[in-house]
Amino acid sequence: MSRLELLTPEGLRIDGRRANELRKITAKTSVFSQADGSAYIEQGNTKCLVAVYGPREARRRQQTLADRAIINVEFNVAPFSTSERKKRSKSDKRSLELATCIRQTFEPVIQTNQFPRSQIDVYIQLFQHDGGVLQSCINATTMALIDAGIPMLDFVCACSAGCIEKVPVLDLNNLEESADTPELTLAMLPRTGKVNLVELESRLHIEQLESVMDLAKDGCIQINEMLDKVIRQNMDHLMGRMKA
Amino acid sequence: MPAPLISPAEKSYIEQGIEQDCRADGRGRLEYRHIVLESGLLSQASGSARCRLGDSDVLVGVKVEIGEVDQENPNVGRIVCNVECSPSASQQFEGRGADDINNTLTLSLDRLYNGPQSGIDLEKLCIIPGQNCWVIYIDAMVMDCAGNLFDCIVMTTRAALHNTRIPKTEIQDLGDGEFEFDVVDDIEDAESIIGWDRSPISVTLYKIADRYIIDPTILEELCSQVTLTVGVNKEGQICGIQKSATGSIDPSLLTEMIQSATNLAKPLLQQLDTKLLEDEAQVQEKRKLGQPVEKLGFFAAVI
Repeated sequence: MSRLELLTPEGLRIDGRRANELRKITAKTSVFSQADGSAYIEQGNTKCLVAVYGPREARRRQQTLADRAIINVEFNVAPFSTSERKKRSKSDKRSLELATCIRQTFEPVIQTNQFPRSQIDVYIQLFQHDGGVLQSCINATTMALIDAGIPMLDFVCACSAGCIEKVPVLDLNNLEESADTPELTLAMLPRTGKVNLVELESRLHIEQLESVMDLAKDGCIQINEMLDKVIRQNMDHLMGRMKA
Repeated sequence: MPAPLISPAEKSYIEQGIEQDCRADGRGRLEYRHIVLESGLLSQASGSARCRLGDSDVLVGVKVEIGEVDQENPNVGRIVCNVECSPSASQQFEGRGADDINNTLTLSLDRLYNGPQSGIDLEKLCIIPGQNCWVIYIDAMVMDCAGNLFDCIVMTTRAALHNTRIPKTEIQDLGDGEFEFDVVDDIEDAESIIGWDRSPISVTLYKIADRYIIDPTILEELCSQVTLTVGVNKEGQICGIQKSATGSIDPSLLTEMIQSATNLAKPLLQQLDTKLLEDEAQVQEKRKLGQPVEKLGFFAAVI
């Protein structure tokens, strides 16, 4: 049985990318007519859809906060998203952890003190899982929140990076993730460079940490440019429809 | 997002409109809303389809996997249905709120597809009798709810089944009654599900005051006292009937409603099938010419 070569001597990965190349990202906002804001992102084969409702009346009165809005994140994985069909319950630990992660990433960025006693709901759906789930969800959530008109301090852009045979690589896909490669997901605010989320799975030598983080930051800046473009395009489209 | 409450004035307005055969959006009693259907969106699923019926949005993914046969029916394959309502469709579907409606819809879909009425040739899905078979997992996700969910789900399921491809298997006889099988990896050799065209669609009739309508919006759904779901297949045979909601139907009206549903289902099925086959022919053409096939999926313009 031949071992899968994740990084060939020429510097090419399994899907033909170089070590510092992102997968192709396509995105769209305003996907639903009923949600206040929604966004759909495709990063390579990973497909993620986010719908945002809010700020609206909180569903449970006891949970409201007097001085700001509460953010509620729900993460749902479709049973057909992975190569093996698996139905996940809503209280699946992994899903809950991811939802909490995303909520904590966005809490400092959304200006919740403008909407006391209300609730902002973020519903994330994953249709296809091909690695980089956390980063796609964060990117899609940013766009959906902007589409909903919820005031934020800055974009939150996320990117994953890893290390294959001591070479830092950007944006891991599912094969690379499952091959026990250390995967670092980084979310940052592009304008200030502040890092909102750092998550590392598997082992990574401390000497390589800095180079992997720098690569992830580069990736975030690239993603920020792309998302910015998509949002401006959608806004132009809306303005065009308004004037027509 | 409309709340699940309706005022008596609104109810009266809707009832009177229906009496006059002119509903709030201008449709007649037996007219469908605009349908947008697209199949083959998900590359990792064996088959997929997405349908927007008015504003109702349903995505169905079909996965075909190898499983063990059911000991009571060792010569046939299995179909497992599952419906999940996403909280993006309604605030009440948050957390465990959607459990009730998920169960109801799952069982209704199961009723239509589990058994000979589904039209699907289950024997062909058996790989080794008594041991392994193909199991078709139908997973429907409701993204947006704007009335008439079940019809939308069934329509999308039918399109997804049309789009599904089952890999070919090669069976080797090891002697002694022992068999082994190998799955052929070539996508070109995958076959479509035999009998997908005999699968039914459902037409749900909602009784409001003394009349009945099809394809209601959410407000119209709130006005109805009784709903009757009829599953009809391409030959006009009835594959399942279910009455739901609180209320009762007069037997003579019941026969009339069933007849009406059957009459409505036939042209709808014909149109859907024509479009599905046309679409597939186009895709094959493009593949032959080596042109890239672009699926719009969620990139299709909504506003």
